[in-house]
Amino acid sequence: MRGRRLARAGPPAVVFVIAMLVWYLGSYALVDPQTSFLLPPPHAVVRVAFGDPYNLSELLQALWLSARVAMIGLVIAVALGVGSAILMSQARWVERSLYPYAVALQTIPILALVPLFGYWFDYSTTSRVLVVVLIAIFPIIANTLFGLRSADPGAHELFTLHRAGRWTRLVKLQLPAALPALFTGLRISAGASVIGAIVGDFFFQRGQPGLGQLIFIYPKRLQSEMLFGAVILAAAFGLAVFWVFGALARRFTDWHESEQQRPTAPFPSTRAVT
Amino acid sequence: MNEQPTPMLSLDDVGLRYPNGTQALDGVSFTLRDGEFVSVVGPSGCGKSTLLRLAAGLLAPTDGAVGRDGDRIGFVFQDPTLLPWRSVRRNVELVAELSGLGRVERITRAVEALRRVGLADVAGQRPGTLSVGMRMRVSLARALSVRPDLYLFDEPFGAVDEITRADLGEQLQTLFVADRFAALFVTHSVAEAVYLSGRVLVMSRRPGRILAEVTVPAPYPRSPEMRFAPESTELAARISAILAADRPEPDRSGEFRQTAEAVEADEADDAMEEAPPVPPVQQPGAEVTT
Repeated sequence: MRGRRLARAGPPAVVFVIAMLVWYLGSYALVDPQTSFLLPPPHAVVRVAFGDPYNLSELLQALWLSARVAMIGLVIAVALGVGSAILMSQARWVERSLYPYAVALQTIPILALVPLFGYWFDYSTTSRVLVVVLIAIFPIIANTLFGLRSADPGAHELFTLHRAGRWTRLVKLQLPAALPALFTGLRISAGASVIGAIVGDFFFQRGQPGLGQLIFIYPKRLQSEMLFGAVILAAAFGLAVFWVFGALARRFTDWHESEQQRPTAPFPSTRAVT
Repeated sequence: MNEQPTPMLSLDDVGLRYPNGTQALDGVSFTLRDGEFVSVVGPSGCGKSTLLRLAAGLLAPTDGAVGRDGDRIGFVFQDPTLLPWRSVRRNVELVAELSGLGRVERITRAVEALRRVGLADVAGQRPGTLSVGMRMRVSLARALSVRPDLYLFDEPFGAVDEITRADLGEQLQTLFVADRFAALFVTHSVAEAVYLSGRVLVMSRRPGRILAEVTVPAPYPRSPEMRFAPESTELAARISAILAADRPEPDRSGEFRQTAEAVEADEADDAMEEAPPVPPVQQPGAEVTT
């Protein structure tokens, strides 16, 4: 067990150490001491951004604000996205009416709408959440719809044969069949929601500062340790979200081929194959 | 035969034309009585799957009439069509669940059906952990659990290897001998049809018609050795000859093209989609699989 864990954690750890070495090398050998703010060494970033209680609380408050916006936006995007995908799966005419607009959402530059949202909803949570919803909803609609359609045609015939109604078919066949695709969409959207929260905030420039605003402000003040700290927190948050949804997907779609054998497992899984 | 058992399924001059004009079946008539095991053999794309779907009521005929006695149908598909997220037992329960049966009754029936196909010990596993042959038996158990009046088999053993196929055939025969249900069994294999059934319907190329009805006189239960008995091989040879006589004049130059067309036609039939337009004068030469 320990050997396996080591085999799994070892290689990324090696890459981490190498990355740190390169970072130090850059900080001390490549960057002129006079312009050291361009690339502060890792320990300085940790000391200033995470070691100082005042700085840390500034960063964590911003992280909390951005995280809240991202999560609220994601929940709304999931509800609306899954809901509209279900509607579209039930009747072709609904799909024909709605899908082009879903695609349009994906193609219009949402950031161009940010000032407009500012006018309409102030620079409050509402407009930030709206940005996240608009960015995160399309992958959910597209993947859920694809998943709902992916149910085995034979299984559909079986349901027809036994006179299953629309609702039964949806709940017992289409939705479970859609779960793997839905989770794929969720993972994409979760990442997008974090980006949406931070980038939206970056452009708002007003209201309570989230990570995006801090990332905008720090370089202007040459607070590069803080800038690195904010970037690291943003990245860590994105990773955490990705990991959570990966775990959820494994939990709920363990029957799917994609979860039968993990590519990371050094040995074939010990599942009984009879 | 002093008294005739109830007809469970009767087709009267049934024809089916798809919306795109492809005539899949034409003038098909036969009666399937209670306790009868009838096989349907025919070339690829001759409308065998269509015939089963008509019998099940999944399709409505464009000509003629389909009559059925009893509502409970056990349909066994070409693929196991199991829901991968459900355990084996819950898969078997599915049809009872769709029919609105109570939980206790469902479980009792599912466990019983799994026991009959010899899979009681894998009831808690997911289908993904089973071999193809075992999945097919789960699918069989699922059909059994409805206690059907009529079984419809759509080439159920097509996807498994020869040895498993023979096993499954024997298992099916055991179930038939015990329950004496009415079954319509579509297959590519003439030998399998002869071994399992009391009567074999031989179908023509598209549009599918019944070319002949061949009775297999051997009584049930039949031993596995019967597959290779001279009477069986003689019957199989007769059926193959009927199928071969229906083959178009061999046109060597167009052999490859014809095969491709036959494959296309077969796929179209399987998918229940609008088949590719077949020129009415020139029929696709279908290969006879024996």
